[in-house]
Amino acid sequence: METHLSPEHKDTSDGKLAESILRKCVHCGFCNATCPTYQLLGDENDGPRGRIYLMKQMLEGNDVEEKTLLHLDRCLTCRSCETTCPSGVEYSKLLEVGRKVAEEKIQRPTQQLRLRKILRKTLPNSERFKMLVKSGQLFKPFLPKSLKKKIPERSTPSAWPTSQHTRKMLILDGCVQPAIRPQTNSAAANVLDKLGVSVIKADKAGCCGAVSLHLSAEEEALAAMKRNIDAWWPEIEAGAEAIIMTASGCGVTVKEYAHHLRDDVEYAEKAQRVSDLTKDIAEILLAEEDISSATTPKTLAWHPPCTLQHGQKITGVVEALLTKAGHTLVPVQDQHLCCGSAGTYSILQTDISQQLQVNKLKHLTANKPEMIVTANIGCQTHLQEDADIPVIHWIELFTD
Amino acid sequence: MSNNTTQQFLEEQVQDALENEQALNIQGFGSKRFYGNTSIDGKTLDTSIHSGIVTYVPSELCITVKAGTPLKELEAALEKNNQILPFEPPHFGENSSIGGIIATGMSGPRRAYSGSVRDAILGVKIINGFGKTVSFGGQVMKNVAGYDVSRLLVGSLGTLGVILELSIRVIPKPEVEKTVILPSNQSDAIKYFNSIRKAGLPISATCHVDEEVHIRLAGSNTHINHLIEKKHWHCMDGADAFWESIRNQTHTFFSDSDKPLWRMSVAAASSPSVQLDNHQLVEWGGALRWIKSKSPPNVIQGVAKKRDGEAILFNGEMAGVDAFPSPEKIMFELHERLKRKLDPKGIFNPDRMYKGL
Amino acid sequence: MPSSDQTITTIIATLGEFLSSDQLLTSEEELRPYECDGLSAYKRVPLAVTLPNTIEEVQKIMRICSARNIPVVARGAGTGLSGGALPDENGIILGLSRFNQILEIDEENQLARVQPGVRNLAISQAAAPYELFYAPDPSSQIACSIGGNVAENSGGVHSLKYGLTVHNVHAITIITSDGDLVTMGSAALDRAGYDLLGLMTGSEGMLGIIVEIVVRLLPKPKETVVLLAAFNSNSEAASAVAAIIGAGIIPAGLEMMDKLSIQAAEDFAHAGYPTDAEAILLCELDGSSIQVVEEKDRVTELFKSHNATSVQTATTAEEQARLWAGRKSAFPAVGRISPDYYCMDGTIPRMELPAVLDKISDLSTIYDLRVANVFHAGDGNLHPLILYDANNPGEFDRAEEFGSEILKTCVDAGGTITGEHGVGSEKIDQMCYQFSDDELEFFHAIKDAFDPKGYLNPGKAVPTLHRCAELGQMHVHNGELPHPDIPRF
Repeated sequence: METHLSPEHKDTSDGKLAESILRKCVHCGFCNATCPTYQLLGDENDGPRGRIYLMKQMLEGNDVEEKTLLHLDRCLTCRSCETTCPSGVEYSKLLEVGRKVAEEKIQRPTQQLRLRKILRKTLPNSERFKMLVKSGQLFKPFLPKSLKKKIPERSTPSAWPTSQHTRKMLILDGCVQPAIRPQTNSAAANVLDKLGVSVIKADKAGCCGAVSLHLSAEEEALAAMKRNIDAWWPEIEAGAEAIIMTASGCGVTVKEYAHHLRDDVEYAEKAQRVSDLTKDIAEILLAEEDISSATTPKTLAWHPPCTLQHGQKITGVVEALLTKAGHTLVPVQDQHLCCGSAGTYSILQTDISQQLQVNKLKHLTANKPEMIVTANIGCQTHLQEDADIPVIHWIELFTD
Repeated sequence: MSNNTTQQFLEEQVQDALENEQALNIQGFGSKRFYGNTSIDGKTLDTSIHSGIVTYVPSELCITVKAGTPLKELEAALEKNNQILPFEPPHFGENSSIGGIIATGMSGPRRAYSGSVRDAILGVKIINGFGKTVSFGGQVMKNVAGYDVSRLLVGSLGTLGVILELSIRVIPKPEVEKTVILPSNQSDAIKYFNSIRKAGLPISATCHVDEEVHIRLAGSNTHINHLIEKKHWHCMDGADAFWESIRNQTHTFFSDSDKPLWRMSVAAASSPSVQLDNHQLVEWGGALRWIKSKSPPNVIQGVAKKRDGEAILFNGEMAGVDAFPSPEKIMFELHERLKRKLDPKGIFNPDRMYKGL
Repeated sequence: MPSSDQTITTIIATLGEFLSSDQLLTSEEELRPYECDGLSAYKRVPLAVTLPNTIEEVQKIMRICSARNIPVVARGAGTGLSGGALPDENGIILGLSRFNQILEIDEENQLARVQPGVRNLAISQAAAPYELFYAPDPSSQIACSIGGNVAENSGGVHSLKYGLTVHNVHAITIITSDGDLVTMGSAALDRAGYDLLGLMTGSEGMLGIIVEIVVRLLPKPKETVVLLAAFNSNSEAASAVAAIIGAGIIPAGLEMMDKLSIQAAEDFAHAGYPTDAEAILLCELDGSSIQVVEEKDRVTELFKSHNATSVQTATTAEEQARLWAGRKSAFPAVGRISPDYYCMDGTIPRMELPAVLDKISDLSTIYDLRVANVFHAGDGNLHPLILYDANNPGEFDRAEEFGSEILKTCVDAGGTITGEHGVGSEKIDQMCYQFSDDELEFFHAIKDAFDPKGYLNPGKAVPTLHRCAELGQMHVHNGELPHPDIPRF
């Protein structure tokens, strides 16, 4: 597509990146077909092609106001469009640049700013978030129904394995998951323990940086990334084979540390190493041969998180592992569409998020599965809010 | 007369008619004169003089002919190259022209399986309501430049212009065609048609008459024989003559009654009517139902409407009843507006389709 | 007819009385993304965009615009390639994307009743549980809307056997230029009267607004096989095409791609195309198993006797989907090898294929622009993609001129300037070449009958005689120059 970036952006690193992406778009509109928000709202501005146009205008120096921000905010960053795009447009990278520029150019209303700040301060801070969830669970019986469903059930994780193996892998504990679903990581640790791998957590590691990134707080995000790299580095030096991700939302971000820190003299190389070592738990298990069969095979509906299928382009792997273990997967319509969780989206864009969740649950439960399995804590809690059947991370099925 | 001269001759007559505001009654061999409203005035414009094949390259699956070309001649030319007209048009008489088929839009037994006249038309050349000769469409399968005038002219009963030349898509002739018969009442026949439609069998015609279902299969010899064997079907003797009698309405169903003949075009799967006396012949997998009936026209039209279709008096108007039911108001207005714009002097076959058009 | 600021304010206020802020876009930034459709070389910003939810809202919009003579441009998914949904600066966009419901699948009659904003592919997906499908499949079928398909009379890779949109639509409900609702066609196969359904199909939003469509569904063929044959030259591939049709075989699809498009498509789809071939043919055969096997053997023989260097056969659904994925994504995949492309849509008699392809290749040298050829060889429908870079000054103009030459070549070869994409804004000048003034006047008369005020998609599809005269595009008719009275420059 024809582009003429304004002098302000033309020669910056972001500007060059944006231009090279924009030029690849041929405006065919295939992306709208698989965009969850376009399918719901039917407005060109709420589909990838339109958003690309909005960003292009902005970067070309046209005046932009709050409408541009509104439509960029409505994007789930599910990256379904990237999977569909035959021209290879890296939409999410363009969006990061676009959101950053939009934040600089357009003033948000105070109320919005406050909410976004609160989210940035609580979610990535796992201790603060744990406190919040615990008090929520304590007072749950007294809360109104609409809030009640936002508070996850209390759960007890299985014990972390104690045996020491020579093979070691790091695992990211993340920020939200330890509070809501600690058993996911302990399940992963136990499965790998059986396969002769010790799974270690780095105490100082924390949020991967995605929350800040999505809320366009780039500096904050970069700080989180560097902190994690520093936390992991000694173990990497000591020979850790991989950095395991059990939340695909974190996985996609850590895999892109190299991209985010590409211009950082001190961290660029380390970031590349970290990104290379990062694997989703499904990728780890795929490489292992001795996976035990399930003692009680189940009928499951599989919800591939966008960050797994579109972000990390991992498709068919979890399905194969589950089928190999003896489980049955029911067919699910529109599996490519987002469930509406999308990080902080469910809090910031409640209406759209809710509609997507309703549609998603309808499709997931249409063929009467016993439970829904997924691979990201965000999808899991978002779907569980209104699901009548359990929603868990699939790795938990491998511990029985 | 040479070809150019016949075209000029027709153009001159149209120009004369325009000058004198004289209505024209366009006619080829007159084999379909019975169709539509027949009590109309007009000076006869004989198009049968404009005759002959213009171009025919079999590998292009297209033939271009002059409107007055006899159907027999056209079909013989195709036959030589193992090709046929996809819509198997009725002749209704020793002599009939391809122009008449286009103008009436009449298709025969094959229509439900390989398309109608309007589906096969690729291009037309006409003398328009200003006495000018104009061409639309062409000889290629795909053509969306400008409005689809060729299709508009199919079935327009000569009310929008004088058709001079037309290009039609043709199809390869099937290697073999065999017809099987099964005993059935009409209601079961409709259900049976539904089931075979779904099965996607290689069918080229269907008919239910006299408590029997006739199914014509078309394809390669091996394929059709295999199918007949597998289904334990019984092959019909004299099938060609049977389909000929359906196509040209020489079957006894059409000739043995003094009741008017209604043509009911409806949703294929819709149930048979219990309201009407049961003398019916069903074609096109249930989508075309011929009815010999003295029931009041409004009853018959009501039955058709309920089945998302329409009933017409096939053999022309009766006392007080037009051949075709009048369309709803907005639809009729669109017809009128179109007619006024394309034939402002109203010289082409006035009233033939709808009174006042 | 530029509207005064006051009229605009009034119109927008009136529309705002029944449309929410999400349904009525008026800010410059929100209007920009609507400035073009799938043909991004042509751009115009509309006054406003409306996104109605109901038929009543469409009627209201139409009546308001009709009363004040405000141009209305209908828009579906905006994937058209001829600028048919290019806005009018003084008009509004009537977006039908919210009409995206499949209303009914009638299994027995094999029909689907759908709203115009439904995606083409979604119809086949909804029909799949009944073992039925909707046959016309434009390459953009994942995204393009059925309303747009009817408006453009879209084809696709399967139109060789199953026809164009016009052959697969039973009925449409439209809103006339007066705002009235009327249905054309029915579940039956025909009815008396003018074929207004046929006339509306392909009328490019100029005669009415389609708000509901009944399409025909077909039983899924029992057996399908896809053959891929590689050739050392375009002309060998082209003569193989003529041989297949000449042998009385009508494949479900018969597609040709040349070297450049093979490479681009392979890069995206990893379809397993032979990237060293000069041309490939994709041939899909479907039907009963016996018939498919018979035809497969005959086609393979024909390929071989026309010097195919290799013939692959895909029998599983996965293999076939992969082969088709390359073809279906070929246009946008060209976006990987060139920043911009300009897609032509001329159709020619099949026997002219080798000559016209040679001519295109000559023109490519003359205009110094690369061409990727992807097309429906079975129907003689060419899609030369002219590669250019819009950021290089003058390059688009050269591409346009080149395109125009290609279309004239098609007309001269006995073909047409557009087989399935429509005239839109893009090919309006070439219409002067293909049609005489009397013919264009005939078109205008039809337009007048349906839309006397001329406010529906004005200026598209049919050029004014004045425009043609100014262009000096002489359609020399009966040896006479049309309009000798109009001064020429």
